[in-house]
Amino acid sequence: MNTNEKLSVYRDDIYTCNRARCGFCREECPVYRIKRYETFSCRGKMLVARGLMEGRLNPSKEMAEMLERCLLCGYCQARCSLKNMDIIIAMREHMGLEGLTAKVHRENVEKIVKEGRLFDRQVPERQEGEIPIYIGCLYQARPKELSATLSVLERLNIHPKIGEESCCGYIAEATGFSQEFERVKNRCMESFKQHNDDLTLTLCPTCTITLKEKYGLPVQHAIIRVHQKLKEPDIAKKLKPLNLRATYHDPCHLGRMLGIFEEPREILHRLGVEIVEMEHNRCFSTCCGGGGGLRAVDEGLSIEIAKNRVRDALTVGAEMIVTTCPTCESTLLRASGRLINEIDIFIDVRNLWDLLDKSLVG
Amino acid sequence: MKTSMGQNSIAEAFKDLEQFLGDRVTQSPIHRMVYSRDWSPREKNAATFPDLVVIPKTTDEMVRIAEIAYQYEVPIVPYGGGTGMGGGAVAWKGGILVETKGMNQVIEIDEKNMTVTVQTGMTIYELNEILARKGLWFPHEPESKRSCTVGACIGNNNDSPFGLRYGKIRDYLTNAVMVTGRAEAVRLGQRKALFSSTGYRLIDLIIGSEGTLGVVTEATLRIFLLPKTRQVRAYLFRSLNEAAEGLERVLSAGLTVESAHIHCRNRLRFYCHAYRQKFEREPNVPEWAEAILFLSFSGDEKIVAFTMDRATQILIEEYHSKPVGETEMVQDYWASKHLLEYIPFKQKWPDSQRQKKFGAADLGLPIGQLDEGYRYYIEMAKKWDQSILGLTVYNSSPNKASASISFAVFVDDSSEESIRRFYQYVREMSEKAIALEGTMSSYIGDGDRLGGFNQLEHGLSFEYMRRIKEAFDPKNIMNPGKKFESLWMK
Repeated sequence: MNTNEKLSVYRDDIYTCNRARCGFCREECPVYRIKRYETFSCRGKMLVARGLMEGRLNPSKEMAEMLERCLLCGYCQARCSLKNMDIIIAMREHMGLEGLTAKVHRENVEKIVKEGRLFDRQVPERQEGEIPIYIGCLYQARPKELSATLSVLERLNIHPKIGEESCCGYIAEATGFSQEFERVKNRCMESFKQHNDDLTLTLCPTCTITLKEKYGLPVQHAIIRVHQKLKEPDIAKKLKPLNLRATYHDPCHLGRMLGIFEEPREILHRLGVEIVEMEHNRCFSTCCGGGGGLRAVDEGLSIEIAKNRVRDALTVGAEMIVTTCPTCESTLLRASGRLINEIDIFIDVRNLWDLLDKSLVG
Repeated sequence: MKTSMGQNSIAEAFKDLEQFLGDRVTQSPIHRMVYSRDWSPREKNAATFPDLVVIPKTTDEMVRIAEIAYQYEVPIVPYGGGTGMGGGAVAWKGGILVETKGMNQVIEIDEKNMTVTVQTGMTIYELNEILARKGLWFPHEPESKRSCTVGACIGNNNDSPFGLRYGKIRDYLTNAVMVTGRAEAVRLGQRKALFSSTGYRLIDLIIGSEGTLGVVTEATLRIFLLPKTRQVRAYLFRSLNEAAEGLERVLSAGLTVESAHIHCRNRLRFYCHAYRQKFEREPNVPEWAEAILFLSFSGDEKIVAFTMDRATQILIEEYHSKPVGETEMVQDYWASKHLLEYIPFKQKWPDSQRQKKFGAADLGLPIGQLDEGYRYYIEMAKKWDQSILGLTVYNSSPNKASASISFAVFVDDSSEESIRRFYQYVREMSEKAIALEGTMSSYIGDGDRLGGFNQLEHGLSFEYMRRIKEAFDPKNIMNPGKKFESLWMK
C-alpha cells in the first residue's frame, strides 16, 4: 500500500473533521499555543491531510517541517474520537517516502537500526534478579539516575533482572519510518525471548506504550509495582515525609495513553507531598515539549512549550514539579532554568524516583 | 462597491507585510488551505483559499496591515474560531485573512469595576479559565466557546445559553477598539460604563458587523461573580407555544431563571434515545409531549432551591406540564450543552457529522409563533429534501421569553446541488420569518448566505447600511462579499 492509499484509509475521518470544525482540539495544543497558525493544531492538519489526499497540496519540505512540529502528545486524540494521531503519523510517513523528513531523524533512525540504541549506553547490561526489567536507551544513558531507581526497587524488595536489550524504536515509528520500525521491532522482540513471556517491568513511559501497543508484549510500568509495595505496612514504615508542596506533571505516554494517573499521585501522598494540581491535568494534561521528536528538530520551540508548562505550575503555586518520565524531567528542568531570566523564580523539577530515593531511608 | 485586486497587488502587499510581521505572514498554500473554510454548509471538498494569512499581535500591527490593504485595495477577512455557520470567515474574494487569535492577551481585569479588557482573539473558554481563578465569570458562553473568540461573538452577535439572565454580547460590551477600512484605530463605546446617551451608538453598530466595517482588536466586557450553585430541570409540554408561555409566567412571578431552552419533539426523541442507550431503561415520557423546556437556576443554594420549586409548581399547576423525572437525562443534556463534556463524533444517532453536516436556518421569531414556525420548518425541510435534526429555541434576552431559533437539518454535502437545496431551504425559511414579523437571522449573521437577499428584511434601511459601510470602509476592503452580496442567494 502506498502512502496516498494509506491516507485514504482515513478519508471519512478527514472529511468529518473538515466539515465539523468543532475546534475542541485546537486551543490547548501546546504547539499551537506558541505558533498561532491553526496549521499547527490538529484540526488544521486535518485540512492539510485533505489537501494531500485530494492532490490540492503537494508534499514539500515546508509540509514536512510543519508535521515535525507536532509532539504526538495525544491531546487532540483525547478530545476527539477521530483517528487524529494515526493520520498525522501517516502524513509523516508520506513525507519520509518522499525523502523530505529531517536529516536528524533519518540519522537517529539509522543509528537505532545499526546499533540497537538511540543513546549511548554507559551502564552494565546485565544483572541477576527475579523480575525482568526493560530499562530503555534514555535511562541507560543516565547511570546515576538509573542506579538510584534500581536501588529504590531493591529497597522495596523488587529485584529486577537486567538482560540484553535493544531500542524499542518509538522514534522511528513516530517520525514516519515504518519500514525501519519493523526491523527494529523484530530485533527488540528477539531480545524479549529471554523473558519467556513473563511480565516485564519498564521505567520509561514511551518504551512502555510502544512495547505494549505496538509489540503486544506483557509489560508494566514499574511505578505500578512500587505503588502496590508501598501499601505494605513494613515498607510504609520506612518512608520519611518530605513535606513538599508540589505539582504532578502527567507524562503523555504514562497518563492519557496508559491511563496511569492516580498511582503516582498516591505515591506522592504517601511521601508526604501536598499535591497542587495544574489546571490541565490527567487525561487533558499538557505535553512538556519533548515528545514526538520535536526536540531534535526545533529545540527553541521545545523550550518555549516547556516554559508554558512550567508557567502552568507556577500559576497554581507549586514549589516543585514532579514527573515520572526522563524526557519530561529533562525538558521541563531545562525550561525552568531558562525561565529564571524572565521571571526570577526557579521551580525545581524532579523525577518521582528521585523523591522515592530520598524518602526511603528506613 | 468593488474590490479590484491583481496578483501584483498581492505580491506588493506581501513584501510590505513581511517587513514588520516576519514569519507571521505567509503565502504558503499549506496555511491557506487550513483557512479555506469555516463551519458553514459547503461541499465536503470545498476549499476557498485566501491569498495571504497574517497573524497580528497588536492593534498597531492591525493598523499597519489595514494601511497596506488600503493602499493595494486588497480585502481583509478576519478569522476567529472558524466555527461560524454562515461563511463569514471564508475569503471567497481572496485577500488577506487575518488570524485574530494571535491577539489573545488579557489587558486588564478590573475587579472593582467588574470589567475585563481583552484582545479579541482570546477564546471564551480561555477567558473564563483565567477569570475563574479570581472567582469571576463572563457568562456569554456560546456552545462553540472552546473555539469561538471574543471578537467572533461581537462580529456575529451569536447566541449564549445564559442570555435569559445576562443577554447577548451587546449587554456586556462597554468599549471596543476597531481598525476600520480607513486604516484607523477607533475607540467606540463608553469605556467602563454600561450605557451612554451621547453621540451615536457606534458600538452597537459593530455588533453583528461581521468584519465588514473593520477588525475589532480590543474589547471591554462586563463580568460577574461565579454563582455558588446551579440546578437544571426539564419540563414537558403539549406545544412549543405553551412552553414559551410557561416560561413567561415563571418570570412574571418574580423568579430569576438563568437559562431556558425549548426543544421540539425530534430533539426530545434524541434525548430519550441517548438515555435508553446509556441506562438501558425507558424514560417516562408521555405521547402527548411535543416540547421540552430546560431551565437552569443559579445563585445561593437556598434561593435556587426555592426558585426551582416555585417554578415547577407554576408549570405543573397552571400549564399541566410534566417535570422530567429522569435526572440523568437532564444532567447529560447539561453536560453536553454547557459543560461540553462529550467526545465529538462518538454518538451514533443522530448523525454526528460523519456522513452529513449540521446546518440551520436561524430565524428570530415573535414569541407567539413557535408552533407555526415549527410547522413550516417540517414542510420546508421535506420540500427541499433536508433531513430534520430538530428545533431549539434560545432565550437570549434578559428576563423575558424570546425566540432565537435553530431550525437544524442534516445537510448532504456530497454535491454542489445538494448544498444549493439547503440554501433554498434557508431562503424560504427566511422569507417566512419576515412574513411572521421576525428576522432572517438571530445568531449566525448574514455571512455569505443572506447578503443582498436580506434587503427583503431591511427595505430602504438597507441603502443606509450601504452608506454606513462606505463611511467606515470607502474602498470596500473589509470582508467584501458579506452582508451585501451572497454566494448562495443570487
